[in-house]
Amino acid sequence: MVSALYLIAAALAAAFLLGLLKEQWRGAAYAVTLAALAFMIWVSAGWLWAFALEGAAPVEIFTAGAEPPFAINLRMGLAEAALTLLINLTGLLSALYLKDALSRLGRRALAVLLIAIMALCGIVLTRDVFNLFVFFELIVIATGGLVLLSDDDHALAAGFKYLIVSQVISVFLLVGIIFAYHATGTLNIDGMAGASLGLKTGGALAFFLMFIAVVAELKPFPANGWALDIYESAHPAFSAIFSAATGAAALYAVDKLLLIGGADWLPVATGIGLVTFVAANILALPQTNDRRLLGYSSIAQTGLVLAVLGQRDILGDATPYIAFGLLASHAVAKAGLYWLSGLVAGRALADWAALRNRPLLLFAFVTFICMLAGLPPFPGFYAKWELARFLAAEGRLALLALILFGALVEAGYLFRWLGYLIKREAPAAETACTPHQATAVFAAVIAGWALGFVWGDLSGRNNLLLVLPLLFALAFLLLEWLPAWTKNTLAIAGMVGWFVLTWTEYDPLRLIFAVIFLIGGAITLLASYAAHGRRIGFYPSAMLMYAGMAMLIRATDSFDFFAAWELLTVGSYFLILRGKHSEPHALSYILFSLGGAFLILAGFALAAQGAPHFDIASLGQLGQPAQPLAPWIFLLLAIGFMTKTAAIGVHIWLPGAHAEAETDVSPMVSGILLKAGLFGLFLLLMTMGRQRLYGIELTHALLWIAALTALLGNLMAIFQEDAKRLLAYSSIGQMGYALFGLALMNHLGWLMALMFVINHYIYKAMLFLSIGGVAKRTGTREMYRMGGLIRMMPLSFIPVLIGIIAVSGVPPLSGFGGRWIFYNAIMTAELRLPLVVIFLAGPIAFLYLFRLIHTIFLGQLKDEFRRVREAPFWIVLPQMIYVVLLLVFAVVPGLALRHVDAYLNRFFPEGGLGWTGPAITSSYGYWNPIAIMIVVGVIFATLLAWLLFVNRRAQKVRQFNIVFAAERPFRPETTHYAWNFFAPYRKAMGFLVQPFVTRFWETLTDLLHTAGDLARRLYDGNGQSYAFHFLAFVVAVFLLRGGV
Amino acid sequence: MQFEWMKIPYALLTLFIVVNFGMLLGAFIQKIGARVGRRHGIPVWQNHIDLIKNYGLRSSITHGTMFYLGPVFRLSGGVGLLLFVPTIHGSEMFSNLSFAGDLILALYFVFFGALGMALGAGESGHPHAAIGVTRGLSQMSMAELPFALATFSIALQYQTLSITDIVAAQQGGMLNWTLFTNPLAVAAAMLSFLGSMMRPPFDVVLAPQEIPIGPPTEYHSSYLALMQTNRALFPIAKIVIYMNLFFGGAASWPVFFFKVFLIYLWSAFVGVVFPRFRVEQSIRWFLVWAVPLGVLSILLV
Repeated sequence: MVSALYLIAAALAAAFLLGLLKEQWRGAAYAVTLAALAFMIWVSAGWLWAFALEGAAPVEIFTAGAEPPFAINLRMGLAEAALTLLINLTGLLSALYLKDALSRLGRRALAVLLIAIMALCGIVLTRDVFNLFVFFELIVIATGGLVLLSDDDHALAAGFKYLIVSQVISVFLLVGIIFAYHATGTLNIDGMAGASLGLKTGGALAFFLMFIAVVAELKPFPANGWALDIYESAHPAFSAIFSAATGAAALYAVDKLLLIGGADWLPVATGIGLVTFVAANILALPQTNDRRLLGYSSIAQTGLVLAVLGQRDILGDATPYIAFGLLASHAVAKAGLYWLSGLVAGRALADWAALRNRPLLLFAFVTFICMLAGLPPFPGFYAKWELARFLAAEGRLALLALILFGALVEAGYLFRWLGYLIKREAPAAETACTPHQATAVFAAVIAGWALGFVWGDLSGRNNLLLVLPLLFALAFLLLEWLPAWTKNTLAIAGMVGWFVLTWTEYDPLRLIFAVIFLIGGAITLLASYAAHGRRIGFYPSAMLMYAGMAMLIRATDSFDFFAAWELLTVGSYFLILRGKHSEPHALSYILFSLGGAFLILAGFALAAQGAPHFDIASLGQLGQPAQPLAPWIFLLLAIGFMTKTAAIGVHIWLPGAHAEAETDVSPMVSGILLKAGLFGLFLLLMTMGRQRLYGIELTHALLWIAALTALLGNLMAIFQEDAKRLLAYSSIGQMGYALFGLALMNHLGWLMALMFVINHYIYKAMLFLSIGGVAKRTGTREMYRMGGLIRMMPLSFIPVLIGIIAVSGVPPLSGFGGRWIFYNAIMTAELRLPLVVIFLAGPIAFLYLFRLIHTIFLGQLKDEFRRVREAPFWIVLPQMIYVVLLLVFAVVPGLALRHVDAYLNRFFPEGGLGWTGPAITSSYGYWNPIAIMIVVGVIFATLLAWLLFVNRRAQKVRQFNIVFAAERPFRPETTHYAWNFFAPYRKAMGFLVQPFVTRFWETLTDLLHTAGDLARRLYDGNGQSYAFHFLAFVVAVFLLRGGV
Repeated sequence: MQFEWMKIPYALLTLFIVVNFGMLLGAFIQKIGARVGRRHGIPVWQNHIDLIKNYGLRSSITHGTMFYLGPVFRLSGGVGLLLFVPTIHGSEMFSNLSFAGDLILALYFVFFGALGMALGAGESGHPHAAIGVTRGLSQMSMAELPFALATFSIALQYQTLSITDIVAAQQGGMLNWTLFTNPLAVAAAMLSFLGSMMRPPFDVVLAPQEIPIGPPTEYHSSYLALMQTNRALFPIAKIVIYMNLFFGGAASWPVFFFKVFLIYLWSAFVGVVFPRFRVEQSIRWFLVWAVPLGVLSILLV
């Protein structure tokens, strides 16, 4: 193994060598630099290999041949190897990226770069505080020089401010070192730690000075204005180093210093880290400059890692896994994003839309954003899970809550940015990307995925990158060059194939969900044959969502469940984002979903109480420490799942997301995706059952929420002018019914919920397809613009007709079955008042359903639609399949329900249904679907035949042949009664649909933005202010710590 | 309960009796209303004459398939509703097709005809048809609520959803009627009843006196005949449910005729006394006066 000393020696030697080269030998100088960096990578990689795979022991290097305190020693261990590899890789890739600038500036700039990388490695390797100081000084000088690489005029000022603040920091560090040396007689870190520096006279103050100085290198809030100016104005390739490599090295320096400070200082580190994490994320919210935003994000992420380091007392051996997982995600993603920012001409976030024409760069961006947001399968995800597990087990819940809150805010601005990228107008100018730059960016992408694999492998859980459904989904990334119909066929085959492979594993309840997710998904995908071209991005997203759902129903372990949950959320987010105007709605969707997911994460973490594996089934038998928390766990999980089913209060994302999605996406996200939330609620209630919190039965609270959701969802639906929004609000109402059934906590309630699951899938997928087809042909979703389309699109009319009869619960279609079970279920309900609310909701469904069918298909046909064609075949085909399914399910509901009914006996032995012949009986009533169908059919057919007989000469008349106050109207617009359709109803009940919830969430986000905007003014760009901030920070930490 | 083929002719017999009774009763109630207003009123056989006249009309037009199907839906709804409910308590002959489902079937089948009718009228393209439907649906959404609450209240009271069982539980004297055992539920239901009878103060849906509005606007000849048949049949079918649930049902046809007449008269009685509400006013009225009674009946049962 090559000695780690060569990391420093090689860089120094190369830097000296550069001095010997002639000024004009620029190519040679550049080659020497690259060679030196490559050599350093080789050294670090060799060590990493040795430690990670061969189990080598850490090595001490004694520079002067003597042991400390008589000489400086360096250490090479696993952490050092990994960090130096990270630093050297960042250095090499940035050097590659900077080829033009470095060639222009020549050997001096190259030497400075080498010194910077060498110094960073030195910070990581050294075990000597004074040596640490020296390396920090080198960094300061090198940074000052490298900042000037930028073309930005502000870089010079930024560099100067940096030098001012750095000198103040250096003074603290040096004074601290002097006192510490005085107290312990050694400069060696381990020596100082062993000498219990804090117990010596003045030792604590000495440590404080050293600690605060090194922490300041992490750019803690608010002492970080100087760093932000650098991030904003420096060359992006340098910012990549500054963020990824400098940040990593400084963190490790703090980690080493914490050894000296001992456990007393861990909370201080956590506090500083946490405040920085939350504040920097809030400050990032109002940012419009990309590099400054990345700067805030870097600061936030560094803060988070610092907070984790401060939790070492409880994380123990897991600290490196968590801290490095977060750090690596941050470093790789941030370096990648800075490199990408160099390719984008404008500095506004929306200018990044330029990347849209380069699918590979876009993929890189998406990878980085997902890494930063801690989504699976990247290391941050595993780290977040483990961190939550430990924090919850030790009861550090406030900490966990703040971390999750900060992460949510971070996801807010990251995904908003992603939305700009994908949805905003792309600038005309082509994005230039040299091969060198591309190398740097894609090396980061590969590193990101590789780290994801490694972290999965180290996690001791299922490696997500080895799970078949996810691999299948990711494979579509490689198949993007294929035409859409081939991919569609593959996708359908994959889903059906997976179902065939796994269907024997499911219990009856899961089987129903599996059929809806996989077979139902495949039927919905038939509509996607209508799309042409390659449809880049659609299949990876859709399959990611389905993969998540396929994994969800098979998950038994809480980790697998959560991972599947996040995957389906991410997939569906990208799917929703594809809609033409869906940018804000997709953002709102992902934020509510992630917020919900964090609650689920917290819930599982609380339930597990530190156990590495926690079976979902054991939610029912929580161990002692978790048992008193059971209601809280229930609450967290229930709210988490309810964000997905869009219960009232957390519903505002749904209408936009479902309405603005593409024609074939709406049925997926409405008919299928919503059921994931119900599945979660099923699992929750099946395992945890009833819980009481402060004397309130939580299932009773759910009943109220469900009833209000049903009522308000329905009410809002009737006032919509947009057909897809109407359907979306109707989904909210329908999910309210399903939730109501679940919350009833009796046999038939659950059966009813399941009936709604099946019914809602069929009719909502059908209706969304039909309305989507109409919108596609007419170019509008505003119902009052349509009218009379039954003549032009009769095939699209049939599913809507069948659908609305089914949704409204009118016999003989399957919706009635749901209502019948509902009435039987509520006969034993414990609470009666919520029933009143849900009774009120019922008839309201008629209003919006009639509006849907009337204003689109009936009434007056408009002139501009006289030539409109029927919806495309592939959109009509699945609708017809749904019509058949609906009729079959109406006549023989037992096909699906019988087995589940028997299965539910496990949970509620009482109150099941009787299935004798075609009749279905309960303790209270009976119902014979086949007889109803026949009776209604016969009566209808007889009367129709009679009318046909007596009315055989009926003459088809033209559109305006109507009696209209003695006039013959001729303008369809004036004769089609459609806008503000239920005006009297609005007058009477409109007060119930004031957008209170929307206002609440808007105010909340506004407050966060305003807070960010106000705090931003701290950073006035004045170097003196920044120095003052640092001093204020020192004083604040000192006082809050209560002195030293 | 099992199906036997003999049920079909029996059911048709019920249908025949009820249709004729409905037409006569409808005209009779009209006449009572007219006499209150010091007018002479129509002869009691007027509905029969109108029916024959409408079938005899030669002009016949259609606006399309749904337009054609509208009256078929409407009358199917009425016939189905009648036949899904036992008419005469204790009589196998007039238990109709109630083996197919219980009270819930009847409750939801009420909407079958309304929905189909609304769709058919919609295809005519006449804005008045659509306006009538929006008014009707808006009013219905609140007017039906007290009835639904009352129904649930008595289902809880009798612990069954079977109409036959509910009627059976009320036998053995007038004081066993729901009217006396659960007066709140009956009060709520009877207020709700006013909302569905197309009489003042809740008849703005059809606005029959001044402008023709609502689905019948564009219908004529045999379509109108079907709708007229339903107009006779449907209120009786609905009243049968009320009678069975709240007033002890009927064990014989004379009792049936009498009770149905009295319940029908209730709507006429209110109708001649009160002026008309606008839709939003009637919604509020039901919400303020009828719904609380229904809620109380559920809470107190």
